[in-house]
Amino acid sequence: MSDAVDISVEFAGLKLANPVFTVSGTCGYGDELSDFMDVGSLGGFVTKSITAEPRKGNATPRIVETDAGMLNAIGLANIGLEKFIEEKIGVLEKLKTSVFVNVAGQAIEEYVQVTEKLASEKAISGIELNISCPNVKKGGISFGTDPALILEITSAVKKACGNKVLMVKLTPTVTDISVTARAAVEGGADALSLVNTFTAMSIDIETGKAVLANKTGGLSGPAIKPIAVYLVNKVYNEVAKDAGIPILGMGGIRTASDAIEFMIAGASAVGVGTANFIEPGCAVKIIEGIKGYCRRKGTGKVSDLVGTLG
Amino acid sequence: MSKTKKGLFEGVVSFNKQIGERFYRLGLRFKGEAGKAFAGLVPGQFAEFDISTAGLPACGEIPDDLRDSARRELLLRRPFSFCNVEIDGDEVEVEILYCVVGAGTIRMTTLAAGDIISVVGPLGNGFSVPESKSTALLVVGGMGAPPILHLAKVLKEKHPEIETVGFVGAKSAVDFPLEEIQGQSKDALKSMSDFELNGVTWQVASDEGDIGHKGFVTEKLEEWLGSCDAQKDTIIIYSCGPAGMLRNTAAIAERHGVDCQVSMEQMMACGIGLCQSCAIECKGDGGTEYKLCCKDGPVFDSRDVVFKV
Ligand SMILES: Cc1cc2nc3c(=O)[nH]c(=O)nc-3n(C[C@H](O)[C@H](O)[C@H](O)COP(=O)(O)OP(=O)(O)OC[C@H]3O[C@@H](n4cnc5c(N)ncnc54)[C@H](O)[C@@H]3O)c2cc1C
Ligand SMILES: Cc1cc2nc3c(=O)[nH]c(=O)nc-3n(C[C@H](O)[C@H](O)[C@H](O)COP(=O)(O)O)c2cc1C
Ligand code: FES
Repeated sequence: MSDAVDISVEFAGLKLANPVFTVSGTCGYGDELSDFMDVGSLGGFVTKSITAEPRKGNATPRIVETDAGMLNAIGLANIGLEKFIEEKIGVLEKLKTSVFVNVAGQAIEEYVQVTEKLASEKAISGIELNISCPNVKKGGISFGTDPALILEITSAVKKACGNKVLMVKLTPTVTDISVTARAAVEGGADALSLVNTFTAMSIDIETGKAVLANKTGGLSGPAIKPIAVYLVNKVYNEVAKDAGIPILGMGGIRTASDAIEFMIAGASAVGVGTANFIEPGCAVKIIEGIKGYCRRKGTGKVSDLVGTLG
Repeated sequence: MSKTKKGLFEGVVSFNKQIGERFYRLGLRFKGEAGKAFAGLVPGQFAEFDISTAGLPACGEIPDDLRDSARRELLLRRPFSFCNVEIDGDEVEVEILYCVVGAGTIRMTTLAAGDIISVVGPLGNGFSVPESKSTALLVVGGMGAPPILHLAKVLKEKHPEIETVGFVGAKSAVDFPLEEIQGQSKDALKSMSDFELNGVTWQVASDEGDIGHKGFVTEKLEEWLGSCDAQKDTIIIYSCGPAGMLRNTAAIAERHGVDCQVSMEQMMACGIGLCQSCAIECKGDGGTEYKLCCKDGPVFDSRDVVFKV
């Protein structure tokens, strides 16, 4: 067993210090976690979704706890592109980690417009395309469930994103995730991230009404982990491996063991979401834990774990 | 009042005492960095407690109405404010006052002296005391008591020049999370119109009238304001309790031209500004905007909040 472990990873041409990200909507715009950890020690950081105009978000309650998980319907509340560039780019610049800005919208033009503006920002390494949004022009059907739309939106944004890495975030609420993954790769995605939350509902039996003001919300946390591991493995085997496209795997990761499962399943990097709420700073422990695992297993390079499912 | 840096800390349970059918007081001691952080806690600030490590009480001790919810797996932390902070050398003892309502708080009842629990705090913005004030009116509804009790104590200690008057209300006598009330006989309660606590005299009201004034606590507040002849801009109201009570308190403050700070509650997933779950509707430029209860609050100027009917 050798003691020296190389935990850096290559991710769509980016050299990351380690494979651990904090992911969209769970780590703010940059400095919110800094009382709890050195955000710069992360492999990567994905911001809250940004839209062209500021959005107030949904009425409350916006969240509810469920068994080993939670539902959220925040409604993409965000400060909007202009304010983001004015106030947050400076913070992100100082982070010393690879920053992805998560872009959301209601129409393809909005995604393109936001991406074009961000493409010239030095502080940003990549764009993460949040396609789990309703397409207002097509009667509200989610971009992320229609392969033809995914192809169209990915190619349009690819043209707008210059030399930034384009990562497409897949929704798991589809019949066959490999079909949507393939559409994103054909459209020019440099990386895939999965999974986003699962559409779900919780009912208050006293009132007979949904707990969330929005009625439905996205399920995240440990409850979704085994499904997320399966979906990462499926996309790795059926799409990403042959296409040479890296996966950012996420869904219920709380510990290094969880993270390593995703890497064995085929994720080149891993994302910590809901767990940031419970143990802010746990991402740093996960990085250390991955290092410890590699040392114990005699794995010289953490990337050697990727897709090794026996 | 100063504010200290937040962090993820461990506290040692010093006591967990039942004070009513559903009410408990929990003491926690902090040392070192944690002690420093909590020594600066401002009344109205809160913390997020991880109680997923606590066990359930024995089956027979779980109230019937909580049997189903007690089976739920806990994931998120639970937010609580504080009713007291004592500094003892380099150790700090904080106290929370909690009501057993669900999966998390039923587990809290099994915490015992010596247990260690993980706490993220101190969080949010607490109450502030503007210099121009010479009278503080404290208005409490039910489980809103903890931060206001803490404030009463701090006002007495640090601002003895301020005249402080308390008003506390709840549905009925059993719903007051206060030992001063829980320990009393029915007859004693019937004749109790006020009591002393933390150096303040508290007037009592209950919806059912089995203790104090029969009616809303805000009626006592209104009565007091109506009969006082102090300059209105020297008075400040501090309030915590159910949403409807806060709305009424805010309306009274507005009518009398008195400043008012309210401590709000909202479902919280993180408590530290990450998740955007805890939105509170506030007045903004030309319309309304959401502010975060955990970060911009939980204490707000009542004029800023849009209270829902
Ligand atoms: C800033 C703040 C300070 C608080 N201070 C105190 C306090 O000093 N003492 C006290 O007893 N309680 C306090 N609460 C409320 C306390 O957080 C909830 O009662 C507790 O989280 C319920 O947990 P549970 O698992 O037992 O209940 P659950 O099973 O999760 O839910 C049971 C009931 O409690 C309600 N509830 C759950 N979470 C919250 C929440 N975050 N805010 C309001 N209601 C909630 C639910 O709507 C439900 O009706 C405070 C809440 C906030 C936001
Ligand atoms: C409160 C909350 C807000 C989220 N907001 C976003 C968002 O704005 N954009 C996005 O692409 N994903 C968002 N997500 C999804 C997460 O990035 C992640 O894909 C998902 O929660 C699964 O990971 P987890 O189980 O580790 O949380 C959000 C998740 C949560 C819990
Ligand atoms: S509770 Fe998460 S932002 Fe307020």
